[in-house]
Amino acid sequence: MVIKKKKIFNRRKVCRFCTDKSLMIDYKDVKTLRNFVTERGKIIPRRIYGNCAHHQRQLTEAIKRARQIALLPYAGQTQQ
Amino acid sequence: MRRYETIVIVRPGAGETEFSSVSDKVTGTIEGFGGLIVRIDRWGLKKLAYPIKKEAQGDFLYVEYAGLPDGVKEMERLIRIDDRVLKYMTVKTQEVFTPDAPKAEELAEPETSPAAAEEAEEASE
Repeated sequence: MVIKKKKIFNRRKVCRFCTDKSLMIDYKDVKTLRNFVTERGKIIPRRIYGNCAHHQRQLTEAIKRARQIALLPYAGQTQQ
Repeated sequence: MRRYETIVIVRPGAGETEFSSVSDKVTGTIEGFGGLIVRIDRWGLKKLAYPIKKEAQGDFLYVEYAGLPDGVKEMERLIRIDDRVLKYMTVKTQEVFTPDAPKAEELAEPETSPAAAEEAEEASE
């Protein structure tokens, strides 16, 4: 019972890629990937945006590929 | 045949003829191994997220193609030697190449592709 009361504050977070099927995860699409990394270039954990496990996995792979080919930084800019 | 895509970053100061010679080298090697070029795209000069070989910018070449592993291996070996290439990356996008255009079927292995098509037809029926 006590545990249930705590859950009241949970806002339902829905995976962005599940709701919008047209949104594709592609390592070449830097604009979309930018939303899921911090200013320093770190991958944002899925508990923040509520991505589903499937899409978060695709996302991390895409970000890591983009890093390899210098589209995204490994360690981001310190300014800005 | 498998479907691949390769991105090659060419040194920006190399000039137009150097760039086309690199792209000819890539496409020529793939075609030499019986591959099929689907798309060649030049993204142009882009800022790199981090410096590569002391260069802050790079000229991006994007090639999408169907080919065999040996062809990719040889093509990567050649561009690794090339001084004008800063970095490259090849990604496999399809295990079995399914062409967008019908003419590509002629170059794909004829034994496997019609059999797979028949199986798909049977399954749908």
